[in-house]
Amino acid sequence: MTAVDDCVSAVRDTFGAVFAHVDEWRARFEGAIAAAGGRISSAEIDALTESLVVGGLGIPGAIVIGAGFVAAPRFLSDTDWHLAWWLGKSNTFGVGSSTPGIRRLEAVEDERAESFRDYTNLEWWRVPARTGSRHITGPYVDYLCTDDYTLTLTVPARHGADMVGIVGADLYVTDIERMLLPWVRAIGQKATIVNSAGRVVVSTDPHRATGSLLRLDGIDAETLECGDTGLSLVLDRS
Amino acid sequence: MPRSIRSATAARAAVFAPLVAAGRAELVEQRLTNAIELGLLSHGERLPSESEMARQFGVATVTAREALEALREKGLVETRRGRDGGSFVTADGEFDLVLERRLRELSRVELRDMGAYYSAIAAMAAELAADRATSDDIDQLDRAIDQVDVESEVSTRRGEGTFRLEIAALSQSARLVREELRLQGEFAPLLWICLREQGQRDTSRAAHRAVVEAISDMNGELARRRTVAHIADAIEWLLDAKAELEQ
Repeated sequence: MTAVDDCVSAVRDTFGAVFAHVDEWRARFEGAIAAAGGRISSAEIDALTESLVVGGLGIPGAIVIGAGFVAAPRFLSDTDWHLAWWLGKSNTFGVGSSTPGIRRLEAVEDERAESFRDYTNLEWWRVPARTGSRHITGPYVDYLCTDDYTLTLTVPARHGADMVGIVGADLYVTDIERMLLPWVRAIGQKATIVNSAGRVVVSTDPHRATGSLLRLDGIDAETLECGDTGLSLVLDRS
Repeated sequence: MPRSIRSATAARAAVFAPLVAAGRAELVEQRLTNAIELGLLSHGERLPSESEMARQFGVATVTAREALEALREKGLVETRRGRDGGSFVTADGEFDLVLERRLRELSRVELRDMGAYYSAIAAMAAELAADRATSDDIDQLDRAIDQVDVESEVSTRRGEGTFRLEIAALSQSARLVREELRLQGEFAPLLWICLREQGQRDTSRAAHRAVVEAISDMNGELARRRTVAHIADAIEWLLDAKAELEQ
């Protein structure tokens, strides 16, 4: 194994571990929805979400800082829009200066409210809805759930042929940078991890800012895909 | 030399200024006033309890109480005792009056200052967005503009907020996004009073399209200038409206 292979594996495994949790949750949601014959209330979804994600959010040093289920519009029996999303202790969204605990995200679900957002327009919903498979959104500033620089991992949940919601988890980009930087540095040449849009996640070059777009024209580089994460490792040849 | 010493001293004093609840109560009060002015909280609506409100805003209970007292004094909230008691919004159809009063209260200097500060945040966000937006992001911005119904004041106001927030997010700066959100809470209802007029709503859409065009061309400089110009127009409109009110 070369340092390059190790780095590609590290990227795959880091996100793979989170996706493994998300997939497990998805299976539980789909099971519960099927058992209820496709008719389920927001209270039932909330109870299930809480029982699934709260344990993981409480583990010290957990990199998942928020997780849950977001319902497809008009799928639930009692409400049109619904986010069953829990925030971890390290997630400082909306707490001001007080110390955050594990808590439910208070989302605006009333379509008439000024601050209501149609979440089906957002990338973490839009892309899995279109492709039917897992997707990593970001790095992006998530002003709905974290107020911080975030990566969101989502998978679609289904009942029969219908997509009934997404299941997902949020990670801080800072944590990912800390975890992956040693692996890219070990490669010993200029190396950058980018997302599917070419946005920099982490680079050995401090001047390649996280979140900027790595424009490959004019750069002699080799690009290696990191499994099915949608992320790639870009190695500069010169 | 003396000048730089003075400013350093002032900055140092600000660092060690006491972290009292003053200011925080005003922020809570401002946030609720804006919500009432915008009609997000309507007549007769019950506000959360003091302790619940304190938890939601992340402030001390005494701070929430102070803010409620100020709202009572402004006549925007009334508190009833007893089993069905609590604090209720009382400003029915008074939004225009509240906004007009604020417009009278603020001096021209303060209005221009508000514009300068907001432009600094919004325009820097637009400049960074031009470097960092993908073509997919630009499609999203176009869609956000298309979704606004410029015939409607509420839709256009909401669109204004969404558009600015999307641009701030594209800057990839969490601090710019947080500041944009805070400033929207602080002065968006006042700043965009001009959107009452159909002509202004059309202008707003055109201005948004022009900014997206600049971002799409990766022309950060132009995106910045167009953002500054749009906000400056809103401020000039406010100054005219203020002058008219005071005649």
